[in-house]
Amino acid sequence: MKKYAENYSISEMMAAVCSLQLSNDDVAFVGVGIPLMAGAVAAATHAPEVTIVYEGGGVGARSRRMPWTISDTPTTDNALVASTMNRIFSDQQRGYITVGIIGGAEIDKFGNLNTTAIFGKGGSYDHPQVRLPGSGGANDIASSCQRTVIVMRLQKGKFVNKIDFITSPGFLSGPGAREKAGLLGGGPSAVVTDRGLFKFDAETKEMYLDAIYPGMTVEQIKEYIDWDLKVSPHLYEMEPPTEEQIEVMHTLDPMGTVLGSKSLKGGIQPFDVYYEALKKSYQSRTLSL
Amino acid sequence: MKDKRMTLKEAVSKYTWDGCSLNIGSICAREPMAVAHEIIRQGRKNITLITDTTSDPAELMVAAGCFSRIEAAYIWIGVVGQGYNIRRAVEEGIPNYIEIEPYSNYTAGLRLMAGAMGLPFLPTKSLLGSDIITHNPRIKVIDDPYGSGPIALVPAANPDTTFIHVQRSDMAGNCQIWGMMGNDDFASRACKNVIITCEEVVPTSEIRKIPNMTVIPEYAVSAVVELPFGCHPLSVTGCYWMDNPFRQGFIQASRTRDGVMAWLDEWVYQVEDHGQYLDKVGRDRLAKLQELEQDNCMIPEIISRTREEM
Repeated sequence: MKKYAENYSISEMMAAVCSLQLSNDDVAFVGVGIPLMAGAVAAATHAPEVTIVYEGGGVGARSRRMPWTISDTPTTDNALVASTMNRIFSDQQRGYITVGIIGGAEIDKFGNLNTTAIFGKGGSYDHPQVRLPGSGGANDIASSCQRTVIVMRLQKGKFVNKIDFITSPGFLSGPGAREKAGLLGGGPSAVVTDRGLFKFDAETKEMYLDAIYPGMTVEQIKEYIDWDLKVSPHLYEMEPPTEEQIEVMHTLDPMGTVLGSKSLKGGIQPFDVYYEALKKSYQSRTLSL
Repeated sequence: MKDKRMTLKEAVSKYTWDGCSLNIGSICAREPMAVAHEIIRQGRKNITLITDTTSDPAELMVAAGCFSRIEAAYIWIGVVGQGYNIRRAVEEGIPNYIEIEPYSNYTAGLRLMAGAMGLPFLPTKSLLGSDIITHNPRIKVIDDPYGSGPIALVPAANPDTTFIHVQRSDMAGNCQIWGMMGNDDFASRACKNVIITCEEVVPTSEIRKIPNMTVIPEYAVSAVVELPFGCHPLSVTGCYWMDNPFRQGFIQASRTRDGVMAWLDEWVYQVEDHGQYLDKVGRDRLAKLQELEQDNCMIPEIISRTREEM
């Protein structure tokens, strides 16, 4: 019997929904933040055989600790392979990676993503209103992975008709555009948000609402989206996270570094608190190697 | 074996200069923080940074006004906070405007691979259809002469100097890396001057025991600097884990220009060298970071400096 969690945050719901996009057969590329947590949750719960691949070069790690970046030391704890970044991306271009999970700051209805810069009024690439990190590996994942899962919060002005900069290609201008551009990967398969799950129409390549989270309404969700959002005729309400999923998240991320951004809001953490919390976190986990 | 050991001060003084092009080794883990501090102390300006992804060291050097141009895929802090300094530089020109030529991680690595192979460019199926191409005139899209359709070409990179931090090296620069390797194998062949900083200098006979682990051979290396805890507050596989509270201190300070200048003053300008920096961080704290890493990952027979001996 599944036991649903009674208390959970929206970030935890997102990580749980995202983790369900991964299965035992996947070779999965996961990016910074919620995607990293989703990979860890999948591996600890329903998909113990999933192979998680990290950009820095780690393949198939089994770690008692949470990686905070795509190349932090836990990414090769008890790993199958400790390799190079170039090797991992070449493996992806060759077609071995089945799914990549990435985030974005701006998205359009074809799933094109911007993580480079928000130009703002009168701004440009060279002189943007807000400079963002850049592609990292997201462009490569969106280009060549068999499918991509996008993780983004629904916020006003982020789900727009035209994004300022296509950092990572979705379906570009619509049906046939990826093939024409020469891209190898299959493009986006889902968008996990904080209110609902979106998928892409097989014919039109347009993003539509597939499922909503408990307590949300379609009208609420539409308010955040600039285009005329289509809704699945089979729309359903998603299950909340299970107690098991939440327990994994709390153990792996005791200070909310990944899911809560608590680390900054609470000021600078005393070092000894940090040390004790991490030690307790990994000591409470056992691994099957 | 040749003895290429020198101090960090000597290496930075000899192998960096105003206007040089610079690569920063590895990615998030093993990024050379002590090197960034020394480059800032020596006041280098107008550097072109050519790299894949870089976190804290680039943010520090951006704040100190070291860079005028960056060719890279990702310049940010990551999950613990945003890149306030790169934002101030690009959005407001503080302390100076930085031009960014965009790439992705794979294609930034392919540039180093081309440089390492002595080739002018390499082709890729990344970047196609994206605005990275729109805003980077040096990326060319051609029709594959063998018939696979459009393909993007990225130019080779041969930066003047790279600093790569590794777990262990001999005094000539044969070095062995544990854990993920980033693009260090190609960066070490692409750059004209390769400076190895390492947790420990070991006898060449130790290197010979596991030659499969040698990522960089001495013939590619110009200098070797022994620099234990050279990546603090970042991590080194098998040696020490991340010091996130310390990074939070830097990020919080970085929210304002005055804040980050005060931070640089306290932790870089007023600090004589890396040894003094480690004393200031605290040896007990470093031992705890070592414990957090080594409880989870030990390098077999590699780190001879144990916690007790520190």
